[in-house]
Amino acid sequence: MAVTDGAFGPTQPTALEHWGWRIFIAVSVLLFAYLLRGQRWEVVAASSHFLLKSLGISWLLTIASIAIGLPTGIILAVLRKAGPIGLRQLATGIIEIIRATPQLMLIFWVFFAVPAVTGQKVPPWTAAIVSLSMIAAAYLAEVIRAGIGSVPVIQIESGLATGLTRSQILLSIVLPQALRNMLPALLATLVMMFKITSLIYVVGITDFFRAVILINNREFEPVVLYTTLAVGYFVCCSLLSWVLRRLDPNYVLNH
Amino acid sequence: MKWSVIWDYREALWTGLALTLQITALSMIGALFLGTMLACLKQLPSYVLGRLIATYVEVIRNLPSVVKVFFLYFVVGLDAMPAAVIGLSMHQGSYICDVLDSGFRSIPREQSEAAWAGGLTRAQISLFVLLPQVWRIVLPPLTSQFIEILKNSAAAMLLGVGELTFQTQNIDVETFRGFEAATAVTLLYLTLALAIVGAAKLIETRLRWQ
Repeated sequence: MAVTDGAFGPTQPTALEHWGWRIFIAVSVLLFAYLLRGQRWEVVAASSHFLLKSLGISWLLTIASIAIGLPTGIILAVLRKAGPIGLRQLATGIIEIIRATPQLMLIFWVFFAVPAVTGQKVPPWTAAIVSLSMIAAAYLAEVIRAGIGSVPVIQIESGLATGLTRSQILLSIVLPQALRNMLPALLATLVMMFKITSLIYVVGITDFFRAVILINNREFEPVVLYTTLAVGYFVCCSLLSWVLRRLDPNYVLNH
Repeated sequence: MKWSVIWDYREALWTGLALTLQITALSMIGALFLGTMLACLKQLPSYVLGRLIATYVEVIRNLPSVVKVFFLYFVVGLDAMPAAVIGLSMHQGSYICDVLDSGFRSIPREQSEAAWAGGLTRAQISLFVLLPQVWRIVLPPLTSQFIEILKNSAAAMLLGVGELTFQTQNIDVETFRGFEAATAVTLLYLTLALAIVGAAKLIETRLRWQ
């Protein structure tokens, strides 16, 4: 049985509370379904293919941004942690500026600012992937920096004492352990990135968010469509969170 | 590059800054209130209440803030400003609840036991024994939550609220000077974020001084 934990100690549920809670959840879900029964659900059914495809685009953007952001983030983190003077400050500056700017603003930056400098229009997909990768790289750099910090210094010293070079120590001692330690935080960033992709519709890519808005513009069924939107995002993010908690060793201790 | 565009549009940027500050400040108050309330209730020794709050936090955290803001605007039918403020308060409030909850857990249990033995009620213990200490512990993570609110306030532009990001896009549409406008507004956002960090530092030294 699950236990809730507060300032006054863990609370063991009685059998009534244990089953009452489950019945309460089931009843709320049924009540919700009952309240929404009269809506025009055929709107969603008719464009289910379009919605699923756009949901796939959201996933694609998330995975692409993490795939590009992870190596970039590792470079930024290593530069911030152990780079030469100058580069270290540069990496810190880049990370902090990206983290302190609204994500929408960054997407606009890539979409507006780059054409102003180069004189060429940026295609929406390039703008989307570049801006999302920048965001992912900055957040992942901080995750990786914490991961590197979790590797005991004595291991680096031992590596130096046995005559390994600095890059050998980084690649074969520090990073493998750091990556393993930071796996939960990495997946948390994945959830965060999935949520951030909802902003990318402003550059005109038909991700899940934009697909729902487009259908709503045509059909005007906000209750049905925005409920679908919320459920879609909730299911995807919960799935990621669930995997995350399976991997987090603390989860085993709590349950 | 033509930086004079920022001076030409100072009125618009000024309105944008005022609106951004308004949304951020109101959402901060809302999120802090909601987060504190949920965290305090979560400490009570009630299984159902604990699960209820945990479920609420989980649902809110697994939805993008824009989805909540749009849901409040289109489905609940609120105006743009209330939808943005309530949406952001709900979003960050659940994160703040988690931050405060871990603050409560970091205080040794003996303190609440001693207060309980001393005859205080549970509400009194939460409010007068634990919460003052929790504030001190959670101030640094709370600061980053407040910066998140500032950043997420840009979502209000999607509903047509004329805040800073909205004005940037507007300047780009009217003059094609998106680069200059985006640079200026990014600097404004950085200044605001630094102001939040500065205020938190000030409060931190004040708290330590007492």
